Amino acid sequence: MKDSLVLLARVPAHPDSRCWFLAWNPAGTLLASCGGDRRVRIWGTEGDSWICKSVLSEGHQRTVRKVAWSPCGNYLASASFDATTCIWKKNQDDFECVTTLEGHENEVKSVAWAPSGNLLATCSRDKSVWVWEVDEEDEYECVSVLNSHTQDVKHVVWHPSQELLASASYDDTVKLYREEEDDWVCYATLEGHESTVWSLAFDPSGQRLASCSDDRTVRIWRQYLPNNEQGVACSGSDPSWKCICTLSGFHSRTIYDVAWCQLTGALATACGDDAIRVFEEDPSSDPQQPTFSLTAHLPQAHSQDVNCVAWNPKEQGLLASCSDDGEVAFWKYQRPEGI
Amino acid sequence: MASPFSGVLQLTDLDDFIGPSQDCIKPMKVDKRSGSGVAKIHIEDDGSYFQVTQDGGTRKLEKAKISLDDCLACSGCVTSAETVLITQQSHEELRKVIDANKTAAPGQQRLVVVSVSPQSRASLAAQFGLNPTDTARKLTAFFKKIGVHYVFDTSFSRNFSLLESQREFVQRFRGQADSQQALPVLASACPGWICYAEKTHGSFLIPYLSTVRSPQQVMGSLVKDFFAQQQHLTPDRIYHVTVMPCYDKKLEASRPDFFSQDYQTRDVDCVVTTGEVFKLLEEEGVSLSELEPAPLDSLQVRVRPVAGLSAHRGGQVHDLANGQCTDGHQSCPKLDTRLSSPNRCSSVSAQEPSSHRGGGSGGYLEHVFQHAARELFGIHVDEITYRPLRNKDFQEVTLEKEGQIVLHFAAAYGFRNIQNLVQKLKRGRCPYHYVEVMACPAGCLNGGGQLKAPSTPGKELLQRVETLYSMVRTEAPEDAPGIQELYRCWLQGEGSERAGRLLHTSYHAVEKASSSLGIRW
Repeated sequence: MKDSLVLLARVPAHPDSRCWFLAWNPAGTLLASCGGDRRVRIWGTEGDSWICKSVLSEGHQRTVRKVAWSPCGNYLASASFDATTCIWKKNQDDFECVTTLEGHENEVKSVAWAPSGNLLATCSRDKSVWVWEVDEEDEYECVSVLNSHTQDVKHVVWHPSQELLASASYDDTVKLYREEEDDWVCYATLEGHESTVWSLAFDPSGQRLASCSDDRTVRIWRQYLPNNEQGVACSGSDPSWKCICTLSGFHSRTIYDVAWCQLTGALATACGDDAIRVFEEDPSSDPQQPTFSLTAHLPQAHSQDVNCVAWNPKEQGLLASCSDDGEVAFWKYQRPEGI
Repeated sequence: MASPFSGVLQLTDLDDFIGPSQDCIKPMKVDKRSGSGVAKIHIEDDGSYFQVTQDGGTRKLEKAKISLDDCLACSGCVTSAETVLITQQSHEELRKVIDANKTAAPGQQRLVVVSVSPQSRASLAAQFGLNPTDTARKLTAFFKKIGVHYVFDTSFSRNFSLLESQREFVQRFRGQADSQQALPVLASACPGWICYAEKTHGSFLIPYLSTVRSPQQVMGSLVKDFFAQQQHLTPDRIYHVTVMPCYDKKLEASRPDFFSQDYQTRDVDCVVTTGEVFKLLEEEGVSLSELEPAPLDSLQVRVRPVAGLSAHRGGQVHDLANGQCTDGHQSCPKLDTRLSSPNRCSSVSAQEPSSHRGGGSGGYLEHVFQHAARELFGIHVDEITYRPLRNKDFQEVTLEKEGQIVLHFAAAYGFRNIQNLVQKLKRGRCPYHYVEVMACPAGCLNGGGQLKAPSTPGKELLQRVETLYSMVRTEAPEDAPGIQELYRCWLQGEGSERAGRLLHTSYHAVEKASSSLGIRW
């Protein structure tokens, strides 16, 4: 099983600091990393090696916690503990900060672009989730402030094709939001995790959502539309979400991130025990009660906590990871035979 | 439990808890006792703490208390633990004062005055299926029944808030060449918005804020200054309660600006929400609809001729609306007020409530706009056309003259719109001359203290409350009975020092303590 995850390269992305998060651009050619050194770095290949193409250093006063590319690939958003979110416009290899979004009371924890590119979501330790609308002139207006969570909100992620938003929180829940008239509303709360929910990932179809937690489990939630064949109760016209699988017993510490490969469906996790793991759904299992198998486990992927795993959106099996050790690592995942 | 405060205040940590990474920075006074250093703490089943000394003696330990003023003055965490609210501002507190009156020695009682907001009245009207006039009368009957002496309507004090807002705007518009911060004028009647502005944007936003007191705090001036004098009472002998659609109003009443050092009393001693009035009704086992309506109290002002005039005219009562008060350089005849009680006053106008145009948040935009159009451009505006922008809680109004926009007003309700407004201001891209800002989406009728009906969807209920609110007869604030006379006699004229002191207030930036907390994630 060990051979299924092979190290391709390792770079000291944020030396003497932590590397918090990674994001591939939609073309899969560039990887953005961010860290405790308040910088964002853009990585690309030259021959066989990964090199730093740009450093975005003039935007933030404190740690940059997360980064996200716009669906067009021309903009990068960075969320920082300085309570702001910067929007960077890409111009060849250069990035210019075109807007700074202010409003959160304190640390911004995550940022994500909707598939249309017209909406942006941010979340913060101030317990709120904000939805922003972008116009043609790169002007951002806040369209909603959602106060559904009762604690620090750790992560936001959009549905891959619809304008549905999900958030994960220190209050142990996941919440889902949709637009209603001219505002946004929380229409579902997923309860089950016994501690902080750190990250979320939709599967390629958007019908399932994976969440990972400080309770050392990954949960898979499935969407059930009203009048579904399985008889899962829905309220009104809103779909209902049900936990259909819990991956427990695999992780020995907090799971900080989960990534669902949009090409293969493989599920990777980043764990506080310094390991990276990959799971695959058993093809023969019941879709209503799927089972997943551990197909790769690299115990010492990094020398400290692994904070993030990110599948390349174009190249099958290319996985990037980053850690408290400040490094970014690139891996080749090969599905073991017989699965 | 969901927070009762407006969304704005939830975001400014007001509803935050003292978490592991946040310390309350307010120093506590600890009453130290000498003795041996070793002691044990024993916790009783009811949660009270006892100190057990080595010789076996026990002493109950006091709990630390944080008051609303502490929270308002603090830049650290603000706790809204229910207990904080309950100790100073609740219907329990009102009940305590009323009960104390029953057993107090003659001369030691306090006069209890309740001032009801028209928004709360509309919410109760919807709840009990009553029209606004019946609601007002029955509410008066209820409060009198439990021991309240007078029941007022804050629509009356709102006349002053609106007139002062009009005057302030015209003044600032004319002075815009002299000050870059003269415009826009941002309405200040919403305490949630004020708290947010002071805490998060302090010195940047404060110059733009209207200095006019909200209807609640003008009522505070009227009751603790004017009315107290008329009753020959010192302000501290009156207990003044307001009924408001909003929890944030409790914070407003607690501001040091509205506290009299001389008499150690507040302009408004206690704020109860519409919901708390409903609770009070339930606890008293009273259904509002079944109460016999009582005549409404209103601030009628009677003129007593100055000393030296013939004695037999001394008690003659005049409605101030008829203007018996002399104007000009001489001092006014002495005024006296009595709240109309059925056998004393037969004024018809006081038997139904009155209100103002321009929506459930007070009508600031509309009144200021019409006044400014007339005063500044000689244009009479009959109907105001609101243009919704991105959402229904952000609307614009413009006045054009010769094809040019000469007045550009907006109403911005709810936190998201406040946010966009503040960002526009910060970027120097705010085109407005005046903005009516309210923290709650849909404005004050949708305030956090209003009644919820479990069986009715929120929007439907809000519509019903809006309809009931707008059923009330409206009048222009300058025409409201008694207002001009009060300006002349109580305030010593419009724009006087007294009017400035009693009808305006000031704001204070709360400096953020720089956080040295090492937040890891």
